[in-house]
Amino acid sequence: MNLRRQLLLVSLLTLMLPWAGCEFIRETESALRTGQQQMLAATARALANSMAQYGEEFPRQDATFSTDDQLYIHELAMRPEIDGYFDDWPLRAESLQSIRGVDGPILFAAGSFGQTIYVYVEVSDRNVVYMTSQSLVLDDGPRHADRVNLISNNPPYLQETIAFAAEAPGKILSFKQNAYGIAPEPTVTAHWQDVPGGYRLEAGIPAALLGTHLGLVISNTDDATRPGTRSSSFSGLTPGPTARLSRDIDSIAARLVQPGMRLLITDARGWRIAAAGELREDSTANARPGFTRRLYDLLVESGKEAAFAEPDPLGREQQSYIATALQGREMGSWFRSDKSGKAIVAVAAPIRAGANTLGAVVLQQDTDAILSLTNEGLARLINVTLIATLLVAGTLLGYATWLSRRIRHLSVAAEAALENEALQSSLPSALASDEIGDLSRSFSSVLQQLGDYNAYLKSLASKLSHELRTPLAIVSSSLENLEHEQLSEAGVGYTARARDGADRLRRILSAMSEANRVEELMANVEPEPFDFRKVLESTVTAYRDVYKERSFELQCNLTSANTQGSPELLIQMLDKLVDNAVDFSNRDDTILIRLLTEEDELELSVTNPGPPLPERMRTQMFDPMVSMREGDNARHLGLGLYVARLIAAGHGGHIEADNVDGGVVFRVLLPLRTKG
Amino acid sequence: MAKRIAIIEDEAAIRDNYAAAFRREGYVVDTYDARPPALSAFETRLPDLVVIDINLKDDVEGGFELCRELRARAADLPIIFLTARDSEFDAVSGLRLGADDYLTKDISLPHLMARIAALFRRLDALQKPQAAATRITRGDLVIDTERMTIHWQEQPVGLTLTEFWLVHALARFPGHVKNRQQLMDAAQAVLDDNTITSHVKRIRRKFLDIDAGFDAIETVYGMGYRWLSD
Repeated sequence: MNLRRQLLLVSLLTLMLPWAGCEFIRETESALRTGQQQMLAATARALANSMAQYGEEFPRQDATFSTDDQLYIHELAMRPEIDGYFDDWPLRAESLQSIRGVDGPILFAAGSFGQTIYVYVEVSDRNVVYMTSQSLVLDDGPRHADRVNLISNNPPYLQETIAFAAEAPGKILSFKQNAYGIAPEPTVTAHWQDVPGGYRLEAGIPAALLGTHLGLVISNTDDATRPGTRSSSFSGLTPGPTARLSRDIDSIAARLVQPGMRLLITDARGWRIAAAGELREDSTANARPGFTRRLYDLLVESGKEAAFAEPDPLGREQQSYIATALQGREMGSWFRSDKSGKAIVAVAAPIRAGANTLGAVVLQQDTDAILSLTNEGLARLINVTLIATLLVAGTLLGYATWLSRRIRHLSVAAEAALENEALQSSLPSALASDEIGDLSRSFSSVLQQLGDYNAYLKSLASKLSHELRTPLAIVSSSLENLEHEQLSEAGVGYTARARDGADRLRRILSAMSEANRVEELMANVEPEPFDFRKVLESTVTAYRDVYKERSFELQCNLTSANTQGSPELLIQMLDKLVDNAVDFSNRDDTILIRLLTEEDELELSVTNPGPPLPERMRTQMFDPMVSMREGDNARHLGLGLYVARLIAAGHGGHIEADNVDGGVVFRVLLPLRTKG
Repeated sequence: MAKRIAIIEDEAAIRDNYAAAFRREGYVVDTYDARPPALSAFETRLPDLVVIDINLKDDVEGGFELCRELRARAADLPIIFLTARDSEFDAVSGLRLGADDYLTKDISLPHLMARIAALFRRLDALQKPQAAATRITRGDLVIDTERMTIHWQEQPVGLTLTEFWLVHALARFPGHVKNRQQLMDAAQAVLDDNTITSHVKRIRRKFLDIDAGFDAIETVYGMGYRWLSD
């Protein structure tokens, strides 16, 4: 992984920023919400205190009845048509209470509009048995029918029943039964409608006819000869007191409520006795695009679904925070709308009268302000994050590019310096004070040392040969003098051997100083125009004479190769290459000498079959004192190829070695000058 | 009368060896290890031939200095540099100062003797009338083997002993290629390829100074050189 990728990866750390931002927004939202809740709680407490003075208006609780015995009479906003349909009731279907019947659930609801109490009952009945003229709507008669009894009680008076049974679907006549007997009740209007699987009854009864306790008893029979099975809305013998809005408290609540708030007041059992104010509808202006919305949902704490904040459709508030308030403890809760993400904060505060809890004040408020605040924060966060991430990533990328370019430059320059032997040249970033500068300086110093070492190696040979020449002259001249003395036969032999040795030493020294002399010559050489091809032809002929155990092949794609330089030196270079090729090939091998033009270069190559060059030697082999020869070939000091390189370089060219199929090729590339 | 040779050489072993060899040949030898004693001795009497080492102890260029002073005193005095310094630059400097030969200490004693004998022979020959028998003529080239002089287009070419022998070897059989070994033998020297190359180059330049159209020495690449006659 290169530096740029690494730093890009590091730049991902800027994603911490949105995380921190989200954390902040979440905190803010929750803090604001808590604040609002506290404010709301204070208001709710105040309201609860002020409601306490209206204790008289709160329904008295009768411990003989449970809430199941009680019927809630909804306050209807409009008068329903008595037609057997629930559609025209200003209530939702959830407001229908359900009890178990013989043939399935029985649904019902009661409502009040003006001075009329409306009742709607939906009965599952497989077999509707109609009333006949003989069969009265009485349980103890000879004949029976399916019917709905509305039980009305007004303690301490006796109970009355208004019975609804149909001779046929449509408008029906109801009967009132009490201790005095049974009689049709014309003030009651009722409509019976058959539906598949049962029937529906809708009735309107003048409120004056009814008592404070109401209940429904549905009698279901399959056979006119048998009494029906009863299902009732209450569990005891008599129905409990009805629960309904208290007109007085409701009007007080309507005065107290502030806009954007909803105020509910319940009695001690949770029955809603007042409802005022509306939460603001979700405005479309708040609807945000899907992405932000989803992000927001992920971000903020999810509350309970907002629908639970609505007033209970059955009339009895059963949310746990309200239940807690009814037990005497103030409690808050909050909800969040799935649609808009808007939160609703709710607080329930108990209304106390002495040790008793009369009921609870429930105050709800939406959090439009918080929403828009956090919303704006979120949008800004996204923008800032985006910009910051791009900025940081861009900066890091640029920085990494700059850094890696410096490093690359340095490495390229170091390699070039190594290759061109320009070991003293200054490297890029040498003046920088950072680590790359240090690196550059250490590179420089390494290269410098290498250069010094190379220079030492180069001068070593000539210095050594120079220093050894005088002692050698002493040895040689002494030996030559010795030859003129009277020596024993053995002495003559020893002297001859010593002279051989001295001769060899002299040849070695001469080879060692060759590079030096070539360098000297190179400095003074006057380039002369010559035909390389002719020179080569003549030289190769000479090689054939000298190296009789090898054959030579000359390839040249030119009729004449006019070039400029020192033919003697170039031939000397070729001598070294051929000498090398001969040493590394076997008897009767063919050595190929080739002269080609390659674009604007002249390529002279010597190819010999033989063992491949070891990879590590490829670049070193042209350095002084490096020899690939092993063992007995002691006369080689590793200067031949160095001399060849000197000559090639002196002609503005360069030399290289390569392995080819089954052999080795040495190539000299010289700049071509076709015109003299 | 025996010829007198002066050796100025700081290395006692070499000095003594050379002195012994010269004496064996019948020369009278004076040895000096530095420039001042040699110069003061030469005040009273000049030797017949001087062999000088360039590097005289701490006097790094002492040999050159001595050569210059001697040449100023005696134009004909044969002076030979015999030194460990084998650089082209030193050789050119030495010869430019008027030395008759510039030899490195690689040279063997017999070769050295041959050169010294040749130099003396030339000195002697210069004092005798010119003998036609010792002359070789090849077109514009006239070689006097006795005096060891060469004329090109009747003008003298100032060659050193080595250069004379090289030209002589080449021109004796015009058209024949002389390889490096043969040339070395002729020049009574052990020379490497580069030295022969530079010798030939120097010879050519000297001829070219006289005749800008000189091209009688041909390089046969990979083999050697040959003299071309018209």
